[in-house]
Amino acid sequence: MDIFSIDELRKTFTNGDMKEEILKGINLTLKEGEITALVGPSGSGKSTLLTIAAGLQPASDGKVLFNDINITSMTSEQVRDIRAKQFGFVFQFAHLVPFLTVWEQLSLMLDVSEVKINNEKREQEIDYILDRVGLSNRKHAYPSSLSGGEKQRVAIARAVIHKPKVLFADEPTASLDTKKSKEIMSLIQDLTKTLNITTLMVTHDEEMLSYVDHVVRMSDGRVV
Amino acid sequence: MSIAWKEIKKNKVRFSILGSIIFLVSLLTFIISGLANGLSQDNAALIKNLPSGHFYMNEDAEENYNLSRIDGSIREQILHDQKDAVAFSIQMGFLNDESDKQRSVAFVTSTNSKWFEQVAPGEIILDRSLEKEGMKVGDTLTHKQYKSSFVVKKFVDQKKFSHAPVAYINKESYNEIYRVEEMQLLFTPGEDSTQNIKGLQSFSNKDFLNTIPSYSAEQMSLNMIVWFLIVISGMLFGIFFYMMNVQKIGLYGILKAIGVKTSDLFKMMWTQMLFITILSLTLSVGSSQLFNKVAPEDMPYHLTNETTLQLSIVFLVIGFIGATLSGLQIKKVEPLQAIQQGEV
Repeated sequence: MDIFSIDELRKTFTNGDMKEEILKGINLTLKEGEITALVGPSGSGKSTLLTIAAGLQPASDGKVLFNDINITSMTSEQVRDIRAKQFGFVFQFAHLVPFLTVWEQLSLMLDVSEVKINNEKREQEIDYILDRVGLSNRKHAYPSSLSGGEKQRVAIARAVIHKPKVLFADEPTASLDTKKSKEIMSLIQDLTKTLNITTLMVTHDEEMLSYVDHVVRMSDGRVV
Repeated sequence: MSIAWKEIKKNKVRFSILGSIIFLVSLLTFIISGLANGLSQDNAALIKNLPSGHFYMNEDAEENYNLSRIDGSIREQILHDQKDAVAFSIQMGFLNDESDKQRSVAFVTSTNSKWFEQVAPGEIILDRSLEKEGMKVGDTLTHKQYKSSFVVKKFVDQKKFSHAPVAYINKESYNEIYRVEEMQLLFTPGEDSTQNIKGLQSFSNKDFLNTIPSYSAEQMSLNMIVWFLIVISGMLFGIFFYMMNVQKIGLYGILKAIGVKTSDLFKMMWTQMLFITILSLTLSVGSSQLFNKVAPEDMPYHLTNETTLQLSIVFLVIGFIGATLSGLQIKKVEPLQAIQQGEV
């Protein structure tokens, strides 16, 4: 079942009199529970495509349909609400809140997504995810005391704790070595399959493609 | 908002620095305000302790009460028409005590009124500050223009004028010393509108205080310092939160990306501002009250609860404005920009 589709998406950047078309009519569908990877050379438009799909920047033309609702025509507050409740994000860097412990990072995400659960259930949910990412023993640690791999695992846990419908991952392994990259990809694959989360991921690392269901190759703003 | 408190807990030093600066600035403001109020009392307690009303002096006096002479017929007419109206005169002068030591006082005489002490000829009622200097009830005081002598009848609290203790004397004694029949001033208590009395100029309590030599200059300079300190504290808040926000631009961007509302980020900043300000103000109010107790007795320091509350509210409002203006950049933060900037 298609949960997410992109229809004739275009993005043009204007710099003075210069106009540069970064996305030139992209069509793409994501099937529920599957991982799709966008690959391509630098400047091919894959990160721009991901950020527009995630509602982080507007499109110049075309549609982004999530559950048949066009998010490109929504107000910024409506898009924020969808980002908070229906989407999860993992970036190249973990981007954790420096003054919150691992446990508090996940609790914050539950607050942001307005998940209505009591304290007991909240603890169970957080402990379950921390167990899945192998950080049960680090739940009271602050980001400053975590390794790069541990930080990224916390970022993944934060991205899925509220059980989003779609996970957007922009180069999630770019700052890690090969061994840790494989661990992270394995974790993303494991969690998204278990929780039935649809994933759109940008990567430049061909080795990571073995963990995904579909590969979409891009070049010069087009799917090739 | 717990995230605001968690940030304070994790960054104790950073917030303590802001808190201590606010504490010091607000303490200094309270102390200077206490001094301004104390000096004001020392300069004009006699007038400040009168109820709201209207003062009248001769138009030709050019707002100088010393030169004012109110015609007897006008005075009698107003005292007859207006309930509680009083005519009075004030002149700076000297008294010699039993050891022939000269004391500077403000001689005051008045018609019958509950607002002014009434004394018999040859008697004198003095401000309490002279008792603290060693005078006693029954002491005899002399004046070189007064043939007889004054016997101290009692002491009264908070009766000062132009930084001198007030000496209430009988009208006859006053006339003998200053050789004038007319009273200088008229006072009618009450919030009613000013009466137009031919030949007289009217003043509100506040306006009349400003006719006292040195009063407005003294108060203006101290109040200017107080307001300057308040503005400084507002700027401190603005600068501090601006610096903090600049450092946290990336974090705000990420929080926005994951769906945190901009209003929640503002609430976080306001919570921190309120926490730091209330804590600092509580400490500085406590310290200023302590200063009230340990300050030397002859220091004119008088900080009222009303002034403390007013200044505290002004600090909170200024802090709120400073933090909010600096926080406007939060509104402009683009999540995408923060993501592309790298690790926060």
